[in-house]
Amino acid sequence: MKKLLIIPMLLLTIGCQQKPSKELTDEEKKFTYSPAGKLTPVKSGKGRNGDNYIYAPGIRFPIESAPAYLNSQVYGIGGLFGPKGSLCDEKNYQYPWHDNYCEKRRWGMPLCPGGKGHQGVDIRTATCEKKKYYAVAVEDGTITYIGKYTVKLRGKSGRTYRYLHLDSPSVLVKRGQKVHRGERLGLVSNNMGSTKTSIHLHFDMKETIKIDGKSKKVYVPPYTSLIDAYKRLLQGNP
Amino acid sequence: MRLLLIIPFIFSFLHADSGILDIKWPKPNAKQQKPSIPYPKVLTEGIKDVKLPVYIPNSYAYDKNMIVVADKNFYTISFLFKGATVMVSGDKTYQESVSNKQEFKEILKTTPAVTFEQEEGIMTAEFNRHGVNYSIEIECDKPESDERCTETKLIKDLYNRLIMVGGRA
Repeated sequence: MKKLLIIPMLLLTIGCQQKPSKELTDEEKKFTYSPAGKLTPVKSGKGRNGDNYIYAPGIRFPIESAPAYLNSQVYGIGGLFGPKGSLCDEKNYQYPWHDNYCEKRRWGMPLCPGGKGHQGVDIRTATCEKKKYYAVAVEDGTITYIGKYTVKLRGKSGRTYRYLHLDSPSVLVKRGQKVHRGERLGLVSNNMGSTKTSIHLHFDMKETIKIDGKSKKVYVPPYTSLIDAYKRLLQGNP
Repeated sequence: MRLLLIIPFIFSFLHADSGILDIKWPKPNAKQQKPSIPYPKVLTEGIKDVKLPVYIPNSYAYDKNMIVVADKNFYTISFLFKGATVMVSGDKTYQESVSNKQEFKEILKTTPAVTFEQEEGIMTAEFNRHGVNYSIEIECDKPESDERCTETKLIKDLYNRLIMVGGRA
């Protein structure tokens, strides 16, 4: 009888032992990011400071593999308003991440100070190579629209996620297709029809906010949701 | 120090509280919903489960090449043209609710009934009708030179030609 009790006791003891903390991977150690709303360079606009709310909790990171670098295209090296140089300059492919959700643009963005901004964020892939890295579905959902350089995913949450600049011939999904979280959508490229742009994924999230019986559909800040998703990707648990 | 205390407080008004918006159903226009020439099957079949008013521009209602993606809470209908794609969508869900937050009250107060803007090269119209949020988008192969995407003429025309072709309570 004693022997019978020893086995479950032993299992219980093992189970109660604190798991040794998982060692950080090299990429996790390297990953740093500036605060939400802090735009770099300063001239690129005024961000939504202090909004650390995660609007899309639990989403998968929209690029299949790490590393990825979230920073400005327009104000980065080689960008339209950035320092002269190559778009492929290695400084563009470095941490820390910089929020660019409210970066200066012409169009209205109600959640940005001043009422104008970028809508989403720009993300560079691991290297400056087009048609090499896959964009993936951030949650289960349906592909609602595919345009010349746009793929739209409506998640089960009701949020709409927009992926811009994928290479059109590489797009693997069709309108109306159900997709699973992590499923490949297409390859990140520099496609914006006839307009020149750099190799990156523009990713944005649109959702409806209800207030006092009224509602408005707005692009919400993706930065904190993406930091959370990227940390999980680096931990091998996307 | 006071600012540090205020900032987290400001953003605590948002709640991840999803749901369905209340629709103030319009009086159905029998002529539009049951036209003398029936709408193509792609449209009638595609929107048969949609539980919100379905609007599309009248000029495209008989386009058999339209692509309909829908369920009971939303619809997206796209029309393919030479060098451009037109998309119309409606959505009756919400993902966040806000209580007593001045910022959002101001946004609602200052938002025009309909906005027309070019965003990321895509000409867009957004509006709320009957409590539902709708949008029309035109995406061009040549977003910087195609007048359909640089001028608001077409998007305004599409908006003014919207007719209710279906949807049920």
